[in-house]
Amino acid sequence: MRLKLISCEVLFREMCDACAHSPHQVDLEFLPKGLHDLGGKPMAAKIQEAVDRTPEGVYEAILLGYGLCGNGLDGLTARHTRLVLPRAHDCIALLMGSRERYQAYFEQNPGAYYRSTGWLERGKGLQQLTHDTIGFDQPLESMIRKYGEDNGRYLYEEMTRYRSQYGKLTFIETGLEAGGGFIAEAAAEARECGWIFERLPGDLAWLRRLVDGDWAESEFVVAGPGQRIAASYDSGVVKVEA
Amino acid sequence: MPELDKLHEAVIEGDWKAASAATQAAIAAGVAPLTIVGGYLVPAMDEVGRRFDCEEYYVPEMLLSARAMKAAMEIVRPLLAATGAEPVGRVVIGTVKGDLHDIGKNLVASMLEGGGFEVIDLGADVAPERFVEAAAARHAGLVALSALLTVTMGSMKTTIDAFQAAGLREKVKIMVGGAPLTRQYADAIGADGYTDSAGGAVALARRLVAA
Repeated sequence: MRLKLISCEVLFREMCDACAHSPHQVDLEFLPKGLHDLGGKPMAAKIQEAVDRTPEGVYEAILLGYGLCGNGLDGLTARHTRLVLPRAHDCIALLMGSRERYQAYFEQNPGAYYRSTGWLERGKGLQQLTHDTIGFDQPLESMIRKYGEDNGRYLYEEMTRYRSQYGKLTFIETGLEAGGGFIAEAAAEARECGWIFERLPGDLAWLRRLVDGDWAESEFVVAGPGQRIAASYDSGVVKVEA
Repeated sequence: MPELDKLHEAVIEGDWKAASAATQAAIAAGVAPLTIVGGYLVPAMDEVGRRFDCEEYYVPEMLLSARAMKAAMEIVRPLLAATGAEPVGRVVIGTVKGDLHDIGKNLVASMLEGGGFEVIDLGADVAPERFVEAAAARHAGLVALSALLTVTMGSMKTTIDAFQAAGLREKVKIMVGGAPLTRQYADAIGADGYTDSAGGAVALARRLVAA
């Protein structure tokens, strides 16, 4: 089969690895991680553009290297070629290998930040697509510059307070961390924040099944031409609508 | 009166010091606390909500307006309590179990307070039974649930179910909000109301307590 994969760049190493091992010919296109910061509808519109750019009659399917991603895949429509999307809430579930494992881990650790190779090398400085007036993730200095000393400090505290509820940084290890740099960087970040550092073994089997064409109904949603992907708000995460 | 116009302006502009000073001046000049709230703070926060809805204001501007409004409320609240004035309604608010993201919830809480509601803020990562206990203990007619993640949206249903199980579902109106939510989801889990903005939350809350 010839397949097209449109993926978030946060999964860059994992997807390259999976595609290299796929029995199929997979053409890769990565989109900026910053799409996530645009919010659900604008993100879906950008991914739809990438889907619509795909030429007709070339691919057996367009694979989506995403989860529901804060409704960023909600409403995506298949044109001439079917779309395949894992039934995942986000990339953390994909890196863990199943949504059940993610859900269980999440419930045990509601205050965990996640890191992976992509989150470290492609997660930072990628706010370029964010509407900068929204002001999330701005450093204290730029808040003060924009809103003055008193209000700037207040805003910074208000907008980062949720982080004080976090107590753990979990690095999902997929075996693609060439050199020790990634793990050292994540450990240092945890130390700076005073958080517990955990190395959690990842599981790339789910991503491999995506690029291998092994699309069980329980793990993937397949939208045929004219059908759209929608959030299902149940354990299946996403569904297909006519 | 000029103090009150200044108060209105200060809240919209997010200047808490000016809001505090104008409120003190108005009280000193004999303005009734209820007039300050109903005549100035509520309309000012309504205007802030309107500006947010049409993308003139973003989250930081709203937070600063909320801060100015709260500075005024700090002065007015004890005086209001002394007059025995009843709030528009009493609302229990929090982010649902598993969700630590509270910026949106805090904004809605501020907007509701600015809109004349008594707000009982349970904070973030609130278990269903805590919502139920607080609503019962404080005789709140309204419960507001927030979630930022699709992973935690399921906790909204669990919370609504907990009210049902406790036999309190008919006694409270439940409103839900948060970035990943939709009206369909709100309907599917049996919420009484949904809105996609902090400004809209005040209008919705007023409708729900009036119903």
